[in-house]
Amino acid sequence: MKLTEDIELIEGMPIAYIKSINAIAVSDLHLGYEGVMSKRGALIPKVNFRKIKDMIKSAAEATKADSIIVDGDIKNEFSNVDVEEFNELYDFINFAKEIKIRPILIKGNHDNFVERYSIPFKLAVHRQQATIGKYLFFHGEELPKIESKGTTTLIMGHEHPAIGIYYENGRKEKIKCFLYGKYKGRRLLVLPAMSYFAGGTEINLESRKSLLSPIFKKIDIDEMHAIVVGYGSTMDFGKISELRKMTAQ
Amino acid sequence: MIEFMSKPFEDSKSLEVLNSYTKKWFLKNFKELTPPQKFSFKLIAEKKNVLITAPTGSGKTMSAFVSVISALFDRALKGGLEDTVYCIYISPLKALNNDIYKNLVKPLTEIYETIKKEKGVDLIKENIREVTIGVRTGDTLQSERRKQLIKPPNILVTTPESLAILINSEKYVENLKHVEYIIIDELHELANNKRGVHLSLSVERLQELIGHNLVRIGLGATLYPLEEAAKFLVGYENGVPRDCIVVDASWSKSIEIRVMSPVGDMINAHENAIEDSMYKMINSDIGGSKSTLIFTNTRSGTERVVFNLKKRFGYSDTIAAHHGSLSRESRLEVEELLKKGALKCAVSSTSLELGIDIGAIDLVIQLGSPKSVTRSVQRIGRAGHSYKSTAKGDVIVLNRDDLVECTIMADAALKRHLDAFSTPQNALDVLSQHIVGMSITRKWNADEAYALIKRAYPYHSLEAGDFYSILKYLSGSYVDLESRRVYGKIWYDEKENMFGRRGKYAKLIYMLNLGTIPDEVAINVFLEGTKRWIGNIEEEFLARMKPGDIFTLGGRLYKFLHAKGTKCYVEEAKSASPTIPPWFSEQLPLSYELGIAIGKFRKEMSDLVREEIGRRQKKGALAGAGMLRKGSIPKAIDLYLSKLPIDKNAKSAIYTYFAEQELFCSSVPNNELIIVEYTSDNLKDSSYLVFHSLFGRRVNDALSRAFAVEFGKMTDEDISIMVNDNGFVLFVDHAMSMSERRVKKLFEAVMSSDLAKLLRENIRKTELMRRRFRHVAARSFMILKNYKGWRQPIGRQQVNAQLLLNAAEEIDPDFPIIRETYREIFEDLMDIGRANEVLSGLRSGKIKYKFISTGSPSPFAHSMLTFGHADVVMMKERQQYLKYLHKMVLKKIKSVGK
Repeated sequence: MKLTEDIELIEGMPIAYIKSINAIAVSDLHLGYEGVMSKRGALIPKVNFRKIKDMIKSAAEATKADSIIVDGDIKNEFSNVDVEEFNELYDFINFAKEIKIRPILIKGNHDNFVERYSIPFKLAVHRQQATIGKYLFFHGEELPKIESKGTTTLIMGHEHPAIGIYYENGRKEKIKCFLYGKYKGRRLLVLPAMSYFAGGTEINLESRKSLLSPIFKKIDIDEMHAIVVGYGSTMDFGKISELRKMTAQ
Repeated sequence: MIEFMSKPFEDSKSLEVLNSYTKKWFLKNFKELTPPQKFSFKLIAEKKNVLITAPTGSGKTMSAFVSVISALFDRALKGGLEDTVYCIYISPLKALNNDIYKNLVKPLTEIYETIKKEKGVDLIKENIREVTIGVRTGDTLQSERRKQLIKPPNILVTTPESLAILINSEKYVENLKHVEYIIIDELHELANNKRGVHLSLSVERLQELIGHNLVRIGLGATLYPLEEAAKFLVGYENGVPRDCIVVDASWSKSIEIRVMSPVGDMINAHENAIEDSMYKMINSDIGGSKSTLIFTNTRSGTERVVFNLKKRFGYSDTIAAHHGSLSRESRLEVEELLKKGALKCAVSSTSLELGIDIGAIDLVIQLGSPKSVTRSVQRIGRAGHSYKSTAKGDVIVLNRDDLVECTIMADAALKRHLDAFSTPQNALDVLSQHIVGMSITRKWNADEAYALIKRAYPYHSLEAGDFYSILKYLSGSYVDLESRRVYGKIWYDEKENMFGRRGKYAKLIYMLNLGTIPDEVAINVFLEGTKRWIGNIEEEFLARMKPGDIFTLGGRLYKFLHAKGTKCYVEEAKSASPTIPPWFSEQLPLSYELGIAIGKFRKEMSDLVREEIGRRQKKGALAGAGMLRKGSIPKAIDLYLSKLPIDKNAKSAIYTYFAEQELFCSSVPNNELIIVEYTSDNLKDSSYLVFHSLFGRRVNDALSRAFAVEFGKMTDEDISIMVNDNGFVLFVDHAMSMSERRVKKLFEAVMSSDLAKLLRENIRKTELMRRRFRHVAARSFMILKNYKGWRQPIGRQQVNAQLLLNAAEEIDPDFPIIRETYREIFEDLMDIGRANEVLSGLRSGKIKYKFISTGSPSPFAHSMLTFGHADVVMMKERQQYLKYLHKMVLKKIKSVGK
């Protein structure tokens, strides 16, 4: 789906492609999650990394992007890098090399100690945010600082947006979505989580107060559009305020 | 071979098998042998496997123990009694275990005292030791456990879970090497759930571990079918059930049941009048007997009845409540008071149904239907001092469906037509647990392990494919090799066909996480968009709710919106009636057998009513109002109803009920006829499509979903449903037209569907699936409740289970634990087997359906539509709604008459 002249949302994937910088942007991969959980007694089989690789590979092939911007939380643990995480991080870097795409990491709140690997792996790691072309990438656990007047669009992760849909028979589905709106006169795009396990926060069901990112204290999330990703396509579902009304019925 | 023994041995023959000391003790304490004892003494002495079914108070426990005690003293007298376990007694209740201990210590000491007196100093010379007994449950203190390890008791009294721990403890197993007898009490309580499945595997493993056959003795008050119960007890050897002799002494205590209605006219009486009269009835029952036990079915009902009895009649501490939500201490206190005879009356939800000796109860009162014949026999059987006295039970009914149901139930109970139990078959989660347990004890050849597992009754039909899929799953084959270190719980070499322990934590994980009873948790209910906490509901209740459902909590109505982990969000519901009664998760489902029996009764009764209408019309009389004149039951019908254990009021109420239905719509549903009624009560926005389908609630649960899904497909709408014992209701938009053709199309769609596939799709993303999956995942050790000393909080377990479910579905939609979750929901919670039978009955024409369209709900639909209000002891609202519906019925009947 074409979002702007320069931004293309890859159909059915939580991935955005930005033409002017020839990069794909993703967020919240939470690599190593299953391994870490299994050490706490929840033996969740490994599927996350495989799914992420499949998506990135097909997105990279389709767009011919030469870099991938990870907008925070490439790994899961807050504390030190777990060995399970390290393995997948290592595999990720090799994988990027294989498909000839350069990783650019924005540090997220789960990404402590990632810098440690920037030198041996020749990784570009940005501490809080990075301005690339007309775009300001930031993870989202802090407010962004607009550095350049030329910035037209802010891109963040962190919130794991999704919408919740209920059916009469008690079935409930949670579908990931992008959020698209305005912040300080600029465009704001919130990326859904790449992680298979981050089902997401159901923006239409959750109260505004319970959202994670401070940016939503500044702007009204209900005015943003939910662009839903699932079942092989990407579609604009309209404003959150409208979706809230629907579910309240 | 399973054999039934009907002729008892002569008493002298039975006593002959006991040694002189045991015989002397027995004759000193008992005047005679009770019916089960007349069989069991000799059979057990001959080391036969025996299944004994006999009522409470018939000396059932002693019938199992006396010969065992005698044999142990034989051993002692020869100086051969060692510090080792010879007999294991297992019951599902810790309280019962403590009881048994107290009851056995007495004979053991008394017999030993006699020997001591007689032998004098020779006692030491001949090394005649005392027969010892010990209890080992989850409550047993660490110090006592250590003591038992060094000096094990000769008779070990334990629970299924503790036995599972003992057989995995290398040190303790040494103490089990000489076990000869295993006694399983309250078999009916174990044979129909996963605890029993778990136990049956433990017993087979024990037998394999010690290398000789055990004498197996099973006890139960209400068991049916006995042949299956016997197979459960003894298991299989080379694909054939082992030998067992069945002793059926259940007839030895007679029962007397009265079905009573508080008022003659259950529709028109004022709600206060019904309540007043009900409490008066209870009070006069209590006054007329020394000690009364009341069953209310629900915990809230228990509290309300106690409160009302105290308030209305000034009882003080002579009345007490007993239910699962009370603390262990207060329950024990009530039990003690009952035993002492210090209570006039105890009120229980279900908790006093089994087990422990509660002293002399003269009368059992059952409020509302207990929903199963077996359960009613079990409960009423609690009354009566000994097997010689009659067990008396009064069943008080509060509405007309309840009346019909309880009447048929009482009739079946008197004829001893019990409901069948059913054991979960091939449960993969319990199997996983045991395979981990087995891998800890030694290395196994997989085929050898498979053969062992198939000896247990719940696994005798286990497919090799399923067994090997569990081995693969447990070995972590679904992750790459290097991760198996973390994910794998056993080591499995496919080429060598061997498996065994993996890692040093395996044993610890097993010991800390074994068992089948899921951790239940209270769900906190919050008002949506606020932090206001409203109260708690049970998890099972949440699992049953779908968004939009309305329920009561703390006396107010709330609409369920969504849930997350252990939190549930609602909004206040204005002027709507509840769609789920507050006790729904506690409520026991109507059994299939009872459903069918009621269906048969409906058929016979409605035939008679139709004949009567025909007779009247021939005479030119008005069929309508005249038939319903008070107190006039036609002769043929009176004769037919007189065969049932009911009084005149009840007969008249049943007759009126059926006459109204027949006059109203000429359609009475029965076990071979499903009536589909399209109707509306003119109160709500939607109309109802009421399915009068009497096959028990577990079948209705499955059928209702199938009909809702297919109807949803036809209309492209989401359809809400309400399930109950007498049928189910689909909510249909007013605008939707309903015709015979449409219903025919719907039936054709359901009849040609693959029910399992359809239900799978329907259940896949529901709260029910999520919660049950967590239970299965925990039982299969995929979610460890207790891991390296860290207890996973339940909310965390639930969230992890959800992630696990997603990941497992991604890897393989047929992943063993997903498969087991569906199996549990389809077979244990619902009854997909019989639902399929109903569908094939419909296909073959053995079961028919008929569509009717009624302007207002027919009388038989009333209880279904008032379901949300159907708490027997809180009936104000329900009564008002019922009256409204009834008025509409009478209006129509009268207008037809004119």
